[in-house]
Amino acid sequence: MRRFRLWTLAATLVFAIALTGCGNNSSENTSKESDNASATQVEKAAVEKKKLTLWFYFEGKERFDKLKTLTDGFTAQNPNVEIEPVYVPFADLKKRLSVGLAAEDLPDLVIIDNPDHAAYAAMGLFADITDEVSTWTDKDQFYEGPWSSTIYDGKQYGVPLGSNNLALYYNEQMLADAGVTPPQTWDELREAAKKLTKNGVTGLGISAPANEEGTFQFLPWLLSAGANYDQLGSPEGIKAFSVLADLIKDGSMSKEIINWTQSDVLKQFSTGKVAMMVNGPWQLPELASTVPDLKFGLTFVPKDKAFSSVLGGENLGVVKGDHVKEATAFVKYVVSPEVIKPFLQSFGYFPPRKDVAADPYWTENPQLKVFAENMEYAMPRGPHPKWPEISNVISQAMSKAFTLHSTPEEAAKDAQSKIDAILK
Amino acid sequence: MGKSKERIAGYLFVLPALIYMLFFVGYPVIDNIRLSLIDVNVMNFSSGDHPFVGLENYKILQREGILATTLTNTIVYTIGCIIIQFICGLGFAMLFSIPFRMAARLRGLVMISWLLPATITAMVFKYMFSADGIVNELLMQVGLIPDPIKWLVEPVTAMLVLVVANTWIGIPFNMILITSGLTTIPKDLYESAAIDGANTMKRFFKITLPLLKPTILSLLVLGFIYTFRVFDLVLITTHGGPVDATQMMSTYAYKLSFDEFKYSQGAALSNVMLLVLLVVGFVYMRLVNREEKA
Repeated sequence: MRRFRLWTLAATLVFAIALTGCGNNSSENTSKESDNASATQVEKAAVEKKKLTLWFYFEGKERFDKLKTLTDGFTAQNPNVEIEPVYVPFADLKKRLSVGLAAEDLPDLVIIDNPDHAAYAAMGLFADITDEVSTWTDKDQFYEGPWSSTIYDGKQYGVPLGSNNLALYYNEQMLADAGVTPPQTWDELREAAKKLTKNGVTGLGISAPANEEGTFQFLPWLLSAGANYDQLGSPEGIKAFSVLADLIKDGSMSKEIINWTQSDVLKQFSTGKVAMMVNGPWQLPELASTVPDLKFGLTFVPKDKAFSSVLGGENLGVVKGDHVKEATAFVKYVVSPEVIKPFLQSFGYFPPRKDVAADPYWTENPQLKVFAENMEYAMPRGPHPKWPEISNVISQAMSKAFTLHSTPEEAAKDAQSKIDAILK
Repeated sequence: MGKSKERIAGYLFVLPALIYMLFFVGYPVIDNIRLSLIDVNVMNFSSGDHPFVGLENYKILQREGILATTLTNTIVYTIGCIIIQFICGLGFAMLFSIPFRMAARLRGLVMISWLLPATITAMVFKYMFSADGIVNELLMQVGLIPDPIKWLVEPVTAMLVLVVANTWIGIPFNMILITSGLTTIPKDLYESAAIDGANTMKRFFKITLPLLKPTILSLLVLGFIYTFRVFDLVLITTHGGPVDATQMMSTYAYKLSFDEFKYSQGAALSNVMLLVLLVVGFVYMRLVNREEKA
């Protein structure tokens, strides 16, 4: 009896731990089952339809509806194919895909954050569609940055859906009061930020948490110095850490940036607590609705050697399975100019295609223009299958340097040795 | 004859539970151990070529200092939490055992922090302890600090915030268990002690605490297990930062497996976690057994 109690306790402990690992996809499954049940009746009545699923992580009904116009539009042209968009929260997507790979429970299409594309291609999630796109004339229209993020090991695993990048927002009133012009270089930035820092306002705000978001915000600085993710320990790499650490030492930027998400940075800017911020175009609608009276300008992220930006955005990946042909057709349909243009506009995205980007909607608008011009310089992260690991090393080094626990040099050198170990 | 039949019936009764346990608990655990002894990562995931590496994954964790950092952080956090929770919980339980108006209602109110999802608690604490949050505001207004403290940026204060947040969550749990423990102590013990001239302090240390011992024991063990597994609170409040100062075993294991796709290393780390909890469980069983024999 006593022994048995011992055993149950042990088992309970084990079970408690096992629970932490398993996701909560039960509700998801049941809803899918009921969908299937109703679908079978339709199938009996009409011709046999092919049902595909598309996983995405955009929040809100509005965005779901916009995606639905894409899938419905495709079905209108291809009545025998139906594509169902299924929402998976961003925080869960990577886990769901990994678990799905092991359990063979996967969608036919995934909208994926572009730096993660290569990792999942390496893990065998995506179908090789190199042959399908080789004869496709549209492919020459894509910018190099977004296009290369869909390629792994010389093979094509999807197409870019929409792009974005980062620019410098500045509060016009605060700059005018301090008598500074929007900074173009790192030296100008340091001076301007110093002058703008007073009465509880700090000069600059960026987002630097220890995750992909932080790495994303750091890359424009790193690239501008002339380094890339595999040259962190070079003099250029160290300089990129130093320029931001110096702003913190000056008091022109808060140490709290290591906890700020990009939305937190936006809040700081819209409430007038920071005079300048680095952020993306997706914040424009939010700014317009929460602080319509705020006068702000946009310019490139200040440069060291050259203006640089980082490529953000999502790709459409075709998942291995029975529906590769239909999924590839859908992908080509979505990125065709007449379909993608209204979609990108409604989503606040920038076109990954040059012909669409030439549209006056992006080139004439004074706010969007900066991001549109940035697309020329926007570099993808990686692409590398071990990007998530590399990214964590970079954002970790940022935390070390920005909390002033290490010198920029120590942080950069340490990160370099870790990245060398990952790349070897 | 009748006796052995009874025994078989007994085994039959536990059989469904046993099968369930073996399948849903035993299998994942064994598979996780298997996974930690081979090498599965992003590059060889699809090839199916997963070499046996023995204890290499555990050695990597140890070599890179991950094991030491996360184990220390998790233990510091856990011990800190359960001590403070227990003291506060005991205090509240004693307070509400005094029959005064509103006692029951107030006790119900204290339960709220335990009912809130940890995600919400974590977000609230993150905002309260941000540099321009309400905590700094209050401390500055009463003149305790001249400048705002960057709670979540400094390693020690970040850990402190987590301990405070989890203590706030855990107090009701401690309070309720101790309250029910208190009701099992016969009132006449106190009465006769009072007649013998024992003062309040003496009654507390000589009657209340010793008789609460079984309750306290299970409370501490359950508290340890619950606290040791912390995940969402840390992930949202500090994300393991600054620079891994609040990185726990659970959050790091998750990061290894689902962020960096080092599945085998993630499995190894969660196995170490399991081991620690098993040790705690066995120590508890030993203590309870000794208690029962005595």
